[in-house]
Order: sequence, then structure tokens, then C-alpha cells
Amino acid sequence: MDGILQSLGVIFSFSGLAVLIIGALLGIVIGALPGLGPSIGLSLLIPFTYNLGPELSMLMMISLYTSAEYGGSISAILLSTPGTAAAAATAIDGYAMARKGKANEAISISLTASTVGGVFGGLALLLLAMPLASLALKFGPAGYFAVGVFGLTSVAALSGGSLVKGLVCAAFGLALATIGIDPIAGTPRFTFGLFELYEGVPFLAALIGLFAVSEALVMIENRVAAAPVIKDKVGHVFMSGALWKETWRSMLSGSVIGTLLGILPGVGGNIACWVARDYARARDPHPEEYGHGSANGIAAPEASNNATVGGALVPLLALGVPGSPTTAIMVGALIMHGLHPGPQLFTEAPSLVYAILFGTIIASLVQYAAGSLFLPLMARVMRLPDAVIAVGIMAFAVLGAFAIRNLMFDVYLMLGFGVVGYLMKKLRFPVAPIVLAMVLGYLVESNYRTALVSSQGDYMIFITDPVSLLFLVLSLVSLLTPLWRALQARRARRIDVDEAANGTVR
Amino acid sequence: MTINRRTFGTRMAGAALGLALALSSVALPAPAMAAGFPEKSVTLVVWAGAGGALDTYGRKLAELLEKESGWSVKVDNRPGGSGAVGVSQIMTQPADGYNILVFTGTLTFGIAQGLIPFELKDFRMLRAMQSEPSSLAVLSDSPFKSVDDFVKYMKENPSGLKVGGHAPGGFHQYMLYQLMKSGGFESGWIPHDASGKVTLALLGKHIDAAMMTPSTGLAQVKNGDIKLLGVSTDKRSEFLPDVPTFKEQGYDIEGAVWRGIAVKAGTPDDVVTSIQAAVDKVTASADWKKFQTEQFQDSPNWNEEEFTKRAESDLSSQLEFLKANGYAQ
Repeated sequence: MDGILQSLGVIFSFSGLAVLIIGALLGIVIGALPGLGPSIGLSLLIPFTYNLGPELSMLMMISLYTSAEYGGSISAILLSTPGTAAAAATAIDGYAMARKGKANEAISISLTASTVGGVFGGLALLLLAMPLASLALKFGPAGYFAVGVFGLTSVAALSGGSLVKGLVCAAFGLALATIGIDPIAGTPRFTFGLFELYEGVPFLAALIGLFAVSEALVMIENRVAAAPVIKDKVGHVFMSGALWKETWRSMLSGSVIGTLLGILPGVGGNIACWVARDYARARDPHPEEYGHGSANGIAAPEASNNATVGGALVPLLALGVPGSPTTAIMVGALIMHGLHPGPQLFTEAPSLVYAILFGTIIASLVQYAAGSLFLPLMARVMRLPDAVIAVGIMAFAVLGAFAIRNLMFDVYLMLGFGVVGYLMKKLRFPVAPIVLAMVLGYLVESNYRTALVSSQGDYMIFITDPVSLLFLVLSLVSLLTPLWRALQARRARRIDVDEAANGTVR
Repeated sequence: MTINRRTFGTRMAGAALGLALALSSVALPAPAMAAGFPEKSVTLVVWAGAGGALDTYGRKLAELLEKESGWSVKVDNRPGGSGAVGVSQIMTQPADGYNILVFTGTLTFGIAQGLIPFELKDFRMLRAMQSEPSSLAVLSDSPFKSVDDFVKYMKENPSGLKVGGHAPGGFHQYMLYQLMKSGGFESGWIPHDASGKVTLALLGKHIDAAMMTPSTGLAQVKNGDIKLLGVSTDKRSEFLPDVPTFKEQGYDIEGAVWRGIAVKAGTPDDVVTSIQAAVDKVTASADWKKFQTEQFQDSPNWNEEEFTKRAESDLSSQLEFLKANGYAQ
């Protein structure tokens, strides 16, 4: 009880609120810049938190982490350039909506959904940290493999018009994911002797090239076209009641998916955003709107990537094991303060634990306030002529690719992906399945092989492992549902035709 | 030209970020110094990304070199290529001591596997400043009470347990290989791509035993969920006084992952002497000792001669291990 009161005292002190606000503003900017994400943001912040004391420094880090997960959507929506890997799914519908002149609406959906997701993840962390931690232990390699397969079944949903083209792109992405040091044998594969490729094709370079540079090239090509007309009045922050009614379901499902996936080590916002989008789409009465500026196509992934923050803190607090690179940095910061994360923190430093628990929720609210300050400014970006936007995208793309590892190699690679993405757009191939397959390819492959190593080659492990069985069944359902629907639609049509032929009236 | 472009890029990043990057990486004005090394700001090239254990060490070293020795230091993270990116970075710079590599014991694995296209003689290994052992870990409800129990079971049931740890063909698997040779048993290896996942795999019973750095599962070791059967230090670790070493239990195994600094071969002796003197001031400081204790790090403090000898012997025995397990030709 003392711990709770103490922690609230810290959070609502002047310095507590100050670090939360500074963290949120920094996070939004860092998230919005492509290439810079929450983990780089935190590592830059660490040296400045030495003198703050553990509670304040944790508050600042959580605030930056949360807001960076949101900030990635800003450039995704405005420039089709996901600022973070977790905003990749948002770019599809967010950018489509912005091009329709509804940038302001898209940003307010993403801000609201991010806040809802963040608060949901924070509440789950506060109320259920201990029981949820056991979830992280249930997943063995077979389980992770099955989760990855489940994620891959959403390729169909990302394919736009042609499933065949979508599958071609997914196969290309899976092939790219095999580049790098073999996760089991430890030897380099398909690296062409380039040590820059040992860790695999840098995902952000592919992401920025495929999404952003390709779009900039298309813009430059079409520069004769007039600047987009802004139909929307710029500057309002609040979502209309109608939008709430339209999106609350996908916000909720996105929040649950994000929280649960965030708990799993190695699975963060970058995977949760796709799963949440696919789930929302499968449940949506208007799945055909996805890809053309669906509000739910923004709300679901944005709620999910912010909900992963609360989820990722679960294993950190309950087990003392960081589940993501970002939380690993937070462990480093705690150690700097002479503290070691884990269940013993609840007795050793209860006020710190409660500061983290309440801070996660309050950071989301602060993010909402900070984000609404930016919003009118951001939406104005869309009023700029395409030529200016295209140049801006290219500048940020180069900057972001370089920031990954300070290597010019990544910049060249990113530009190469940009050309590939441009050609794909010309030929009407969807780029999203490549990105999805790259994210999931490593997860699927490494866990498939680890599972077989540990079962000594027995394939039954994928069926006897309950988590694996569950997700493989879900994958089947996900694959068969569209087929089933198509069959039914055809049957219904046939009945209509028959009825028409027989001249019967309904 | 390349250098110019890099500097330009760094500036762009700094400008875009505004504050953090600029403040942490741009040199502060150096205090008045005696003539000699360093006359300008020194770069610590960390071959891992920001935020990890190596980066934490590199940044503490930078901070204390500034505080204790009056240097101006900037930290340059060069992750990638199993360390090859960071190594190449110092190898393309002049051998003047202004680019110091901050690296780990995986250097010898990288060289042995052909991942890092350099040899030990391309470096002057100046100082090993941190080290952490490996340990054989099981869950507390495991029937094994000692390394002997484990070895006996594995002899009777070859590959009968799922044993795993961080990375394929890395330090922890190498220590298991030593134990296999010393105890005369066979075991498979289930690699994990992050050390945190090893702890979770053990707690979730996806593996039966792990070779891992004790600090990885510290919370569980302390509360008794995870039991350490043996640790690969020479004498009992001051952080784990209750855990017996492998040596005590009759298995002649000793090894540690070290973290340290090196410069390019050909760096003049007087420069190296200045660096050594500056590092001596760091290791003697109370701040450094406090940091080492908080991080659960042993302080080998090997000097150049000992460090080099150690790396050479590591390299030859690891090469044998890697060949035996098909990780190298």
C-alpha cells in the first residue's frame, strides 16, 4: 500500500509529470523518424537518466517507449514510410486514407487507438502480470513456429486483387529471410561473402525501401498531377462518435492481441500489427475496404502495437527476463541503478514496481495529450506539393537506413529495395506480403528447426505440443474460411439464378 | 571520401535528433593535458548495438576515461557481421590509438569460423576488463544434485536430455563440449538466439538443462527456481559463493566470456602505454568497482601479454571444438 502511494506521489510530482511529457515528445519524434525506433530511442536516453533515480528514469523510458510505438504511425500515414517496424501494417490503410484527403482523421484514429491499446496493455500488466507470465513459459519452439504460420496465413488478406501475386511476394520475402547466419548450424548462408548480411537482410532497409522510396518514385513520376485536395478540416483531435462506433471492436481485439503477443519474447509490435489487422479484417463486415483507407485497418494495428508495451513488461517484472530488445535496455538501466529486475523487486523496491505499473497506463494518456499537440501540424504536411513530399521521403529514407547500423551498405540496399518496390507497384504486385514474410520467416524457420532438434527429428512435436496444435488449427481455419465463404457465395448465386430461371419470387 | 560521408551522415542524424545524440557523441572540450596521447577525442568502437551488455561496458568505460583520465571520448556503435563490422571499422583507420575496439571473447570464435576476416596478429589486445563464466543450470525440481549426477545420467542415456543455451557454435556450447570430453558423454545442443530465451525455455521445461551465464537467470537463481550445478570459474565466484565450480567436482573446465579493448596492430608502444595508464586509472576508481559489482562481472584485468596468450589458446581449442561439431572446416 505504501508502495502504491509512494509511486503515485512520484508520478504526479512536478518532475514525474515533466519526465513523462518529455519522454512522450521525444518518443513521438523518434518513432516518426524512419529507422529510429523505441530501442534506439531508449539507448540514446539512458545516459541522461543516470541522475534521475530509478523511478523517474523508468517513467521516462516507458513514456518514450509507448510514444515511439505511436509515433511510427505518423510517418506511415503521411508519407507511407513506417517510422517503426510496428507501424508497417498501418501504412497500408493510413496512407490510403491520407491520399483521400483524410489525413487528419487517419492520425486521430491512430492516436486514439494507440492510447486505447496502451491503456489496455497497462491495465493487463497491472492486474494480471503474474498469471500472464506463465503464458510466456507455455510457448516452446513448436508453439512459436505455429504462431508464425498463423501470421503467414494473412498473406491472402494482404494480396489486394491477386492471390497469386501475393503468394509470389510472400515467397520472395521468405527467401530473403533465409539470408544470414543459419540459426541452427551457425554458418553463413546466401550472404555472397558480405559480412553486412550475416545478421540477415536488415529488415528496416527493406521496409523503408519497399514502402517509402517506391512511393516517392511514383510521386516523382506523377509530378504533373495536382496536389491532393484536402477535404478535411485540419486540426480536430477527437474522433467522432460514428468513428468510435465503427472502430471500437478492432481497437479492443487489437489491444488483446497486442498484449498477448507482447508477452512472448521475440514477438513484438512488428508481428502483432499484422495479426491484429488480419483478425479485424476477418471479422469485418466490409473486408473489401481494407487496403483502401479502412478506419479499422488503422485502429487494429495501432491498438495492438501500443498494447505490446504492457505485454513486453510482463516477463520483465514477473520473471526478470526481458522479452524484447527494448525491455532489455530497460534492464540495463535498472542494473545501472543497482537493481535487478524480477519478482524480488516487488518486495525490494515496491514503489518502483508500482511506478512502472501505473506509469505504463499514465504514459499512454500523456502520449494522447502530446500527440494531439502535434496533430494539426502533422496533418498539414499533406498540403505540401507531391514534389516536396517525395524529396522529404527520400531524405528521411536515407537518414533512417543509415541510422540502422551507421553503414552505407544499408543505404544502398534500401535504395535497391526502393527500385524493386517501384517496379512491383508498376506491375501491381503488393509489397506488404514481402515485409510480412521477412518478419515471420526467421521466426518460423528457426523455431521449426529448433523444435525438430529438440524432438530429435520427430514431427509429432507440432501436434503433441498443445500451443502448436491450437495455432495450427487456427491457421487452417484462417485458410479455409475464405474458401468456404466463396463456395457459399457461389452456391447462393446459383440458387438466385435457379430461382430467377424458375420465376419464383422470394 | 567514405569517412567524410560518414561524418556527414552522423551530423545529419545528430541534427535530426536534436538533443540526445549530439550531447552524447560530440566531444566535450578536453581539459588541459600534458603533451602526448591523446591530442584529440578518442573513439570507442563498440561492435554491438546500443543497450546491450557490451555497450553498457563501453559507455561506462567512456564515462570513466573522461572522468578519471581527462580524455574526451565518443562511443561509436558498429554492430553487425558477428563483430566483423566493428573490426573492419578500426582496421580501416590509422594505427594511432584513436580508434579503440570494444569487443568480446566471441572474437576468437568469429576468427575460427572464418566470419571475421582477420587474425589475432592484426590486433594488440590491450586489456580484458570484464568476464562472466558459464554454468550448468537445471530446474530446482530436477533430480540432479551435482555435475556427477548429470554426467552419470548422460552416460547411461546418450543425448537423453535436452540441453541448450545461447547461440550455435558459441561459448556456452563450447563449454558443454569441454564437459562432454571431460565426462565422456554425448549430448545434443538446442541453440537459442537470445540469452533471455534460455531462461524461459528452462522454466517452461522446453529444455532439461542449460549452459548459461549465471546472471542471465539471476532472479530465478536467487529465488531457487533454477539450480546451478557447476560454474566454469577457476575458484568460486564471489557473486555465487554457494555454487561449486566444475573443477571442485573433478572436471577440469575453466572458461569465461571476456569483454575488453584492443587496437590495430602497429599502434606505437608509447601510445599503448598512455592508453594502459588511462585504463589503470579507470580500473582503480571506486566507480568502476561499484559498476563491476552491480553488473556481476569478474575483473580479470589481464594485461596485453596475458590477454594475447589467453586469446591464442582459446582460438586453438575452439577451432578443434568447431571442427568436431561441423561449424568450421
